[in-house]
Amino acid sequence: MPAFQITVNGRRRSVDVDADTPLLWVLRDTLGLTGTKFGCGQGICGSCTVHLDGKAVRSCQVPAKEAAGASIVTIEGLSKDGSHPVQRAWIEEDVAQCGYCQPGMLMSATALLSAHPHPTDGQIDEVIGDHICRCGTYPRIRKAIHRAAEGGAK
Amino acid sequence: MTSRRDFIKVTGATGAGLVLGLHLEAKPRPGEAATRTFQPNAYLAIRPDGMAVLTVPKSEMGQGVRTSLPLVIAEELDLDWSRVELVQAMPGPDFRHLGTGGSTSVSTTWITLRTAGAAAREMLVAAAAQAWGISPGQCRTENGFVNGPGGKKASYGQLAEAAAKLPVPKAPKLKAPGEFRLLGRPTRRVDGPKIVVGKALFGLDTRRPGQRFAAVLRCPVVGGTPKAWDASKALAVRGVKAVVPVPTGLAVVADGTWPAFKGRDALAATVTWDEGPNKDFNSKDLETRMRAALDGPADTARSTGAIVPALAAAARVVEAEYAFPFQAHTTMEPMNATALVRPDGAELWMGTQNPNTAQERAAAAVGLKPDQVKVNVALLGGGFGRRSGTDFSTEAAQVAKAAGGGPVQVVWDRTDDIRHDQFHPATLHRLKAGLDGRGSLAAWSHRIAGGAVLRSWLGGKKSPGQAETEANGAWDLPYDLPALDISYAEVEVPVPLGWWRAIEIVPNVFARECFLDEVAHAAGRDPLAFRLDLLGKRGKVKLGEEELDIARLRKVLELAAEKAGWGRALPKGHGLGLACHAYDRRTYLAAVAEVSVEKGSLRVHRVVTAVDCGLVLNPEGLAGQVEGGVAWAVSALFSQITFEKGRAIQENFDTFPVLRLPEMPQVEVHTVASGEAPSGMGEPPVPVTIPAILNAAFAATGKRLRRLPITPADLA
Repeated sequence: MPAFQITVNGRRRSVDVDADTPLLWVLRDTLGLTGTKFGCGQGICGSCTVHLDGKAVRSCQVPAKEAAGASIVTIEGLSKDGSHPVQRAWIEEDVAQCGYCQPGMLMSATALLSAHPHPTDGQIDEVIGDHICRCGTYPRIRKAIHRAAEGGAK
Repeated sequence: MTSRRDFIKVTGATGAGLVLGLHLEAKPRPGEAATRTFQPNAYLAIRPDGMAVLTVPKSEMGQGVRTSLPLVIAEELDLDWSRVELVQAMPGPDFRHLGTGGSTSVSTTWITLRTAGAAAREMLVAAAAQAWGISPGQCRTENGFVNGPGGKKASYGQLAEAAAKLPVPKAPKLKAPGEFRLLGRPTRRVDGPKIVVGKALFGLDTRRPGQRFAAVLRCPVVGGTPKAWDASKALAVRGVKAVVPVPTGLAVVADGTWPAFKGRDALAATVTWDEGPNKDFNSKDLETRMRAALDGPADTARSTGAIVPALAAAARVVEAEYAFPFQAHTTMEPMNATALVRPDGAELWMGTQNPNTAQERAAAAVGLKPDQVKVNVALLGGGFGRRSGTDFSTEAAQVAKAAGGGPVQVVWDRTDDIRHDQFHPATLHRLKAGLDGRGSLAAWSHRIAGGAVLRSWLGGKKSPGQAETEANGAWDLPYDLPALDISYAEVEVPVPLGWWRAIEIVPNVFARECFLDEVAHAAGRDPLAFRLDLLGKRGKVKLGEEELDIARLRKVLELAAEKAGWGRALPKGHGLGLACHAYDRRTYLAAVAEVSVEKGSLRVHRVVTAVDCGLVLNPEGLAGQVEGGVAWAVSALFSQITFEKGRAIQENFDTFPVLRLPEMPQVEVHTVASGEAPSGMGEPPVPVTIPAILNAAFAATGKRLRRLPITPADLA
């Protein structure tokens, strides 16, 4: 069984798992990066979102063989100290309730802001509409994304 | 009567600083409070380094309890808010009744927390005054320091040891609300910084040395058992270590979650089930049985006046049937628990709302005594009542034991989580209202039929309080009626039932407030004016042994109506609807919804709420709970669990849809300033939001929606 080479949060890692193992479980079980969350296992809820070569992807839908050679950023690698403007905006808008779905939300929000530095409500609907938060933090997520876009995160 | 002093005492060893033991419990069991001698179970410590450490006896599931409870202490203590550290309480000799639910966390603990904070502050002041040779009255406290005349200043940390040697004040002086500096101001949740960097640890994030992972292949029919299986296919999956039978099915133990899932799926292809006695259970037949039960015997939850003659004498009787479906919780973190079981002791790690019961049941399942099982309470990736259940933690202990001890993490996938939920029961409601010749409401009858959550919760026993529990929200209607009859007819359902955010109050208030809207229209009255007349100009009224303050409810109803612009002209296809309720006779809430219906699709634009929950500790937290409650309510308009051939047919978020951001309405929260003790806000927004929306849909379309979930055909 060949090991897969992936770069996670800037560090090259070799993981020895079955080729069909979803990246989600490579991160959580093999590499111990539990910030990426398991929610539905079918790419419906967005809890497991990470960046793969800069794009937001559902890590439960990416088998290890497809992640091989890619550069992955997880919530743990978004910033060294929680200082990413989106993380700060999340704190300032007091977005989280239980907090479980928020890493996925943050990863999608940062990818959205990279592509569209000043997203419209429609663009936010489109991207965050693919996520689920059962606590209902949606109004604050929208506000936090706008705040981060405006550079309002202090 | 026990004095406050009996609930606080100095504990802890020399060198530990000032350690106050307090007594915080959810609710003592009947007869217990009066006889027990004081034993502290929560601790407030001022360490020599100046940090304050508080044991939190409640589980954090997003409701913000790890923020609000310490905030109360910090307020009375005049402590720097950033210097409070939290330790999660564990069940054991100290904590016999840990439990989080019913929106009670603040209301049941807040006086003790305030008293402890005030006592600690007075002791620190006394220690400073003694050291400086002055009277305590010459000292002031601020942000973790005692200040004296002439620039004298000492930190709490410096004073803690000396304070610990002083007597605990008999009646520490609590601040007047006007003196509050933290309470009543927006405070962000303490776990926020950890959440945004992925460092907040939920049960599923538990990682122990040597830990394995397991998935359980469960019969899709509740009560079914595996008859025959071939483990070889599962064992052939790389990483799978064992297949072991457990009471809930067949556990596949592996060195990772994925191989456990893969092995479980391979095993599923080989298993034959004995589907047991419930294989024919289905929602359709259940509805027939529920409808029959509406005509059969029932338990009375509340009866005033003579309902039969009152209805017979009515100039007009309005009658309708309402239906609410089974619902699942779908916490974003699926059920899971990690267990280690040895012959002489065990340990569990999971998010739970019910640590003591989890401890007792896991212990019984593996042949240990409760105190031999250590329960570590992690953060909950959503609770909503689901994590009051103990099925998942008991099962994890059984898997660990069968698999050689563990530690093993049992992971439920989303299908397990939905199909094997402890469901919110389906109910049918028959309501009858009698209007007199002047169009006034003279008689009200509400019968509920459905499964009893309380019986399921009590392991199959019928409690004398069953009808009141299952009819909560129906029997405590706040309206002044000469004759009313509220009753509950239990219908047996074979699937496990559990508490769901805002419990039975959701369907009961849905039926009650929608039907009242119908009656108002039948009487040719405006629904707001009709309700205000029924509330009357009353103050506190007795409801059995409880009390309801009608004036508080009236005020929130008027406020919500005013803020939403009740009666204003609306765009075509739009409608306004309202509802009000005093949740558990403690939290007063009214909601006005604005919706539009277009091409068979309902859109909720705005929900204006007015709340009176007593003193508001943290307006930021309160707003979040109302937003979340509204989201929960809107979700419930479109989701349901249905049973066919003994199994829930929904399996994931594609078939059990949950509200998403684009459909989230604008939520407004208007608070009535109140000097009353804080009540609770985790659940109360849910029950009023649903009928407000459905009444608004009627205003928009003239179609009365009496059945959830809403289907496109209902709106066409």
